[in-house]
Amino acid sequence: MLKVLDFFNYARSKSPWIVHFCSGCCSLEMLASMGPRYDWERYGYIMTPTPRQADIIFITGLVSKKILPALLRTYEQMPEPRYVVAIGACAYDGGPYNDSRSVIKNMTEILPADVFVAGCPPKPEAIIAGLEELKEKIKRGEPSASSQGGLWKQMKF
Amino acid sequence: MSIGAALFYIIVFPGLLFLLGWTFFVFYFSRKTLAYVHKRVGPHFNGPAGSLQTFWDILKLLTKESITPKSADPYLFNIIPIIVPLIAALPVILIPWTPLINNGHGILDTNYGVLGLVVLIGVEPFLLFLTGFGSNNKYSFLGGMRILAQMISMEAPFFLSALSPALLFGTMNLYDIMFSNTWLTTLILLPGAIIFIIAMLGILEQPPFNVPDAEQEIVYGFYTEYAGTNYVLLKFAEFTEILVVSAAAVTLFFGGYRGIFFDSFWWLFFKIVLIAILVVAIRASNPRLRLDQMLKFTWSWLTPLAILNLVWITFAKLYIVGV
Amino acid sequence: MDRIKEVLNKFDMEYVEDYKSTWIKAKLKNKNDLLKVIESLKEVGVKTCSTVSPTDFIDENRIEVNYFLEDLFNKKNVWLKVDVDRDLEKCEIDSITPLMPSADWHELESFSTFGVKFKGHPNLRYFLISSDYYGKFPFRKDFDWEAHEQNLIENINSISDEFFEDYEKNEKTIGHEESKTVLNWGPTHPASGPIRLKVFINGENVEKIDADIGYVWRALENLVERKDFVGSIVAVERICFMDNPNPMICYSQAVEEIAGKEITPFAKYMRVILGEVGRIASHLISAGSFFGTMGLQTFLMWNLDIREYFLDVLEDYSGARIATASIEPGGVRYPLNDYKAWFETIQKAIDKFESVKADIDDIFIKNPLMSSRAKGNGIFTLNDVEEYYLAGPIARASGAKIDVRIDEPYAAYGELNINYVTCENGDARDRLYIIYKEIMQSIDLIKQAMKKIEEGIESGEMNPTKDHLIRMPRRMPAGEAVSRVEWARGEMLMHLVTTDKSTSPYRLKMRAPSVNHTMVLNKLISGKTLSDIPLLYGSMHICQGDLDR
Repeated sequence: MLKVLDFFNYARSKSPWIVHFCSGCCSLEMLASMGPRYDWERYGYIMTPTPRQADIIFITGLVSKKILPALLRTYEQMPEPRYVVAIGACAYDGGPYNDSRSVIKNMTEILPADVFVAGCPPKPEAIIAGLEELKEKIKRGEPSASSQGGLWKQMKF
Repeated sequence: MSIGAALFYIIVFPGLLFLLGWTFFVFYFSRKTLAYVHKRVGPHFNGPAGSLQTFWDILKLLTKESITPKSADPYLFNIIPIIVPLIAALPVILIPWTPLINNGHGILDTNYGVLGLVVLIGVEPFLLFLTGFGSNNKYSFLGGMRILAQMISMEAPFFLSALSPALLFGTMNLYDIMFSNTWLTTLILLPGAIIFIIAMLGILEQPPFNVPDAEQEIVYGFYTEYAGTNYVLLKFAEFTEILVVSAAAVTLFFGGYRGIFFDSFWWLFFKIVLIAILVVAIRASNPRLRLDQMLKFTWSWLTPLAILNLVWITFAKLYIVGV
Repeated sequence: MDRIKEVLNKFDMEYVEDYKSTWIKAKLKNKNDLLKVIESLKEVGVKTCSTVSPTDFIDENRIEVNYFLEDLFNKKNVWLKVDVDRDLEKCEIDSITPLMPSADWHELESFSTFGVKFKGHPNLRYFLISSDYYGKFPFRKDFDWEAHEQNLIENINSISDEFFEDYEKNEKTIGHEESKTVLNWGPTHPASGPIRLKVFINGENVEKIDADIGYVWRALENLVERKDFVGSIVAVERICFMDNPNPMICYSQAVEEIAGKEITPFAKYMRVILGEVGRIASHLISAGSFFGTMGLQTFLMWNLDIREYFLDVLEDYSGARIATASIEPGGVRYPLNDYKAWFETIQKAIDKFESVKADIDDIFIKNPLMSSRAKGNGIFTLNDVEEYYLAGPIARASGAKIDVRIDEPYAAYGELNINYVTCENGDARDRLYIIYKEIMQSIDLIKQAMKKIEEGIESGEMNPTKDHLIRMPRRMPAGEAVSRVEWARGEMLMHLVTTDKSTSPYRLKMRAPSVNHTMVLNKLISGKTLSDIPLLYGSMHICQGDLDR
């Protein structure tokens, strides 16, 4: 039984689909990593138009207060098991917008991320490397960080 | 037909396993070809040259949570995805696949083959409309309405052009049509074939007629709310339909599994792949039409041309082929 | 110019003076005269409001409202200042929106962030800011931010509440009998980006579009007030990453003007090259996603391929692909140690574009299906350009000869050979063509600038390792400046205010073109079908980054 589950975890790790959601500038580098030079489809990543078919949601850089409910709602619409990848400095602590009035500084306390990708914005190679890390995590069958806790459960969205 | 043979037909060829294999193949094939046109590589690292990508995708989708939205009609939402692939796979028994089965006839050798094909293909969009209707999502519903509009307008030229070989050879038996076809009749049928392939793009919701699941306009049309297993079933139905319709095109217009030197399933397959390449090439170089543009195109160009084509076939039958 | 001065002098002004070559700066004494001034300015041709920018002088207990009014076709501009009282009850002024529709959203923005009430505005409401800031006016100098941050979760819940209230109301009031409904086109939508268009549809027909913006509002204008003059470029460049260098050029010019410094010719030419490379990188995405909105990704992918080579140019120079921070007050940030190698990279990028150009022409630019959808769709006339202040490529697609690079030359554009690039029809297809033509123009400009730099270095006039930066004072004198550049999406205007011996900007207003381009969406799309929304939206080349700032 365990072996069968391992096999399914392996299958999951091989085909991560990403929901189309952009909340900040790092989505431009996501576009670049879809493009011909970096082409993440080589590894099996594709963008899906609706959250219903996705496995991964990206926190693309900054999250302003106004878009946070939409982000959480999109996350909630995804089927289990679902993972969160935080891209860029802003997703970690606000980055260059740390002093700004409308950007959320503790995004990953609200929605804990499985993988952080550093950079402002991170290079496409870094994004793909981060996703490969996530693959390892899925392969090991670890539960996603956001299902373990986070402030998002106390919020209305 | 013995039970053993029947089971073989249902499970192995041309039934479930064959259709699954086709689904794996065509998904991979279209992604790879599209990537080539995009100057990308496409799936590469999972399996040899990425060939196992679809396999993993489908396994993953099967093990994901299958969501039924709170506001959706649970019966409609979950039953239709089971019916759709069954209906989509039914025409498979009408098509003569290979000389090895049933002496080269289709499994069900009937004199109404063309009619059966056309009807079974035509039922499909209505079921897809029901998926959109049952989702109770605005975008799904719009997708469902669009697919109805598309069905009504695209099926007229589709039926009319599918009739042209039947008219020319005086039979609706697919086997007879296939073996009556010569180089000369293929040329005579060519206008009909072109209309058939254009209408086929509409029936299969391929660009430039992919109005019902237009990503940029209505998210994903009737697929919007589907997750996990239900999504796999719907996609399976879509690819099965692609197979059936392009096999129908090949059988009706291009001599089915007949080929140069020898007759074989591989000739049929080769011709289907040529059509698939054509479809992908159109997909890679043309933007989507607007719904009203599509309706205008079918009713003021394609349908009249299909009727004119029937006139031409009658003329050719009387004066070129000779009765 | 003289006629405008004459008109202005009829009223009670504190001063009327010339500013730069195309501006007249004036200060109105009595705020009740404003509408009359605007009316008489309209008669002499100044018909467009570029932006409204309040400045909060908390020590003097006044808010100074700056109006930037432009005569687009004769290049005569007026910078009009009016004082209003700072107290919330008395802080009001007449709205100029009924006279100049282009001021609409700019006034709403000023109201939401500074609390200046505009009397007579057709629909004065909170705008851009999220609902937890309603009634608090976050850009005022006395806004208590620390206290506001305390209850983060409550604030966010209030935003959700607002959305659900709106949703319930729409569901209840809008048509169960007819085929009418409201679609939320965004922010979770494959083609939208972080903006929410409330689309009122009847079947497939669009009746009305109501844009809800502020999803990437970062309060950049406020953020720079807490950074020093050089550090501010980090905030300024993040206005939109698609065309990265040009906003920095605009900001740096404003700082240089206040400091009274002139940068070296080498730095000027470097700014031209970097700016044009940024413009090309932005235009390539714009043109690609124009086709993307019609479900065809091939062009976008090809363009991304070309764009990588232009990003290589930026990366070779600054080390970053899109967040270059390569231009700062005083010149450009880095010396050019090996200029030949860098020019080779540029040449490679240009060659790459030119090698694909023939294919692009055949497959995409002349595509009949694209023409059938975009030709004659969403037309803007010259009159619309003036009324709503459409800028940059959108205006030039309608045949308007507007280009800040020529009208008010900055950097080294005055010494280069540059002409207006225009199309005639002003429909969606022309807005694609103009983008494509401008890429060609930019390549030409880059070639010219490269040649000038090479000549300069050979003759010894320029030193690429030393000339890049001049010394700027750490503390700026009191002053204010207006600087304009031609950004990839249109005119960008920055209004910088400093106080004496300050180390950071007192107020920076960034005027970006996407605000006006989003403002006209309702007019553009109403009456069209659902399928036209992504196409026309894509044809406006809107970037949410500069829409919200």
